[in-house]
Amino acid sequence: MTGTIRRAAEALLFCVALIILWEGGVRLFEVKPYLLPSLSAIAEETWRARAQLWQHSLVTLGEVALGFAFATVLGVALAALIFFVPLAKRTLYPFVVALQSIPKIGLAPIIVVWCGYGLASKVTMAFLFAFFPIVITTLGGLASTPAHLEEHFRALGAKPWASFWRLRVPSALPSFVDGAKVAMPLAVIGAIVGEFVGSNDGLGNLILIATGSSQTALSFSALLVVTGLSLALFYLIEALGRLVWWRQG
Amino acid sequence: MVAAGLKPVADLAPVAIAIDGVTKRFGGLTALENVTADINDREFVSILGPSGCGKSTLLRILAGLVGCEEGGIDIFGGRVSGPRDDVGVVFQTSNLLPWLNIEANLRLGLEIRRGKAVARAADIGPMVETLGLKGFEKHFPHQLSGGMRHRVAIGQTLLCDPRVLLMDEPFGALDALTRDRLNMELLRIWQRDAKTVVLITHSIAEAVLLSDRVLVMSERPGRVIRDVTIDLPRPRDPSKTRESAAFGEYVVELSRLMGVG
Repeated sequence: MTGTIRRAAEALLFCVALIILWEGGVRLFEVKPYLLPSLSAIAEETWRARAQLWQHSLVTLGEVALGFAFATVLGVALAALIFFVPLAKRTLYPFVVALQSIPKIGLAPIIVVWCGYGLASKVTMAFLFAFFPIVITTLGGLASTPAHLEEHFRALGAKPWASFWRLRVPSALPSFVDGAKVAMPLAVIGAIVGEFVGSNDGLGNLILIATGSSQTALSFSALLVVTGLSLALFYLIEALGRLVWWRQG
Repeated sequence: MVAAGLKPVADLAPVAIAIDGVTKRFGGLTALENVTADINDREFVSILGPSGCGKSTLLRILAGLVGCEEGGIDIFGGRVSGPRDDVGVVFQTSNLLPWLNIEANLRLGLEIRRGKAVARAADIGPMVETLGLKGFEKHFPHQLSGGMRHRVAIGQTLLCDPRVLLMDEPFGALDALTRDRLNMELLRIWQRDAKTVVLITHSIAEAVLLSDRVLVMSERPGRVIRDVTIDLPRPRDPSKTRESAAFGEYVVELSRLMGVG
């Protein structure tokens, strides 16, 4: 117990040291605020622009949530298709792997051309980033169903549907949860990249506008909020993933 | 002494399982060659053989999980073409679902075979009692010892009340004490519920202790080389039965047949 407190205190102390170094360094060397604003200036700016930040956060959150949801639904469906249909395994699977190798950042301008400056292009980008980890981990999960349990279900005369729901899905869930944990922060990156390339709002848009108009403190504020958003979403998945408690066994 | 090839005492009992010239090949490898045997209704038969002799393959064919190249199997007069509802299988591994508690695992067989309603309505109390699982209903498999998990797996199969019980070395991984206890529980249930039991084992002592008849298989390709009737009084008891002279003679005889004596 004291060890835990000690370790927490050490980490906290290190953070405080970093803050002092940043704040003190900026003041001491009189760094121009448009290059690197002091922490206190960033904090002040975050408070001042809170309404604006909140509004843009909601936009980005909506994009991420939709993109992630589509990635989950379509990713799981595609994984199941590849797993259960041999033809899909021979045709779709190599195609999906090849597609995964395309740098998705490079796709962003094309996506904006196709889907416009609105919600659709950002949801598509978030989807593209989150999609592949979900397909791959779900596929791995489905394949990891223990052979002896499959045989047991067959011996019980289980219908394919019963085997799927009672055996394959629970067996695949732990791996799927791991995939979702990777995919969620990627979905945030996807949405931000989409906003960078072409948008009217969202935190990525705010970062771009603020930097362009030398409001560097506001850029940092937006970056801070993006980080917080990404962390919060990750821990949401982490918490939901605990429902699949048998992943440790 | 032990008369080889002698038909079992209960000559009038109908044949439950007729194994008729079963040959099984895996590519160029012949696992089973012309295996023929009859197992009577309510009989306890062990299939004994060295590892790799195809006895587990034979059980899978009996269970309708794999087919065979030649011959076939009739259970209660019907040709086996797939898993049957009147046949229950207990495998070497305990086969519990880690995400279901013991009660749900016990009901799983019933649920898959007869549906949710039957499974929910089933009274599992007596089975829980018999198998010594009382108080563990809400536990999960990982919280139980290996012996208890095996008991749950056996209970799951028994709750389906199959007429034929196929067991593939269900006690192989257990310590001697637990094994003795489960052997006795199995004998009690078999006698009470009048089932036909086929037990795959490589333990000579276990085969003699439990069975009416022991089918001895050869090394690959597996064939039934001897059909030994175990004429020991019932009810049997691990400590008493094993001390009897007749028990020792059967063990020696079977050891010799398996080439280990």
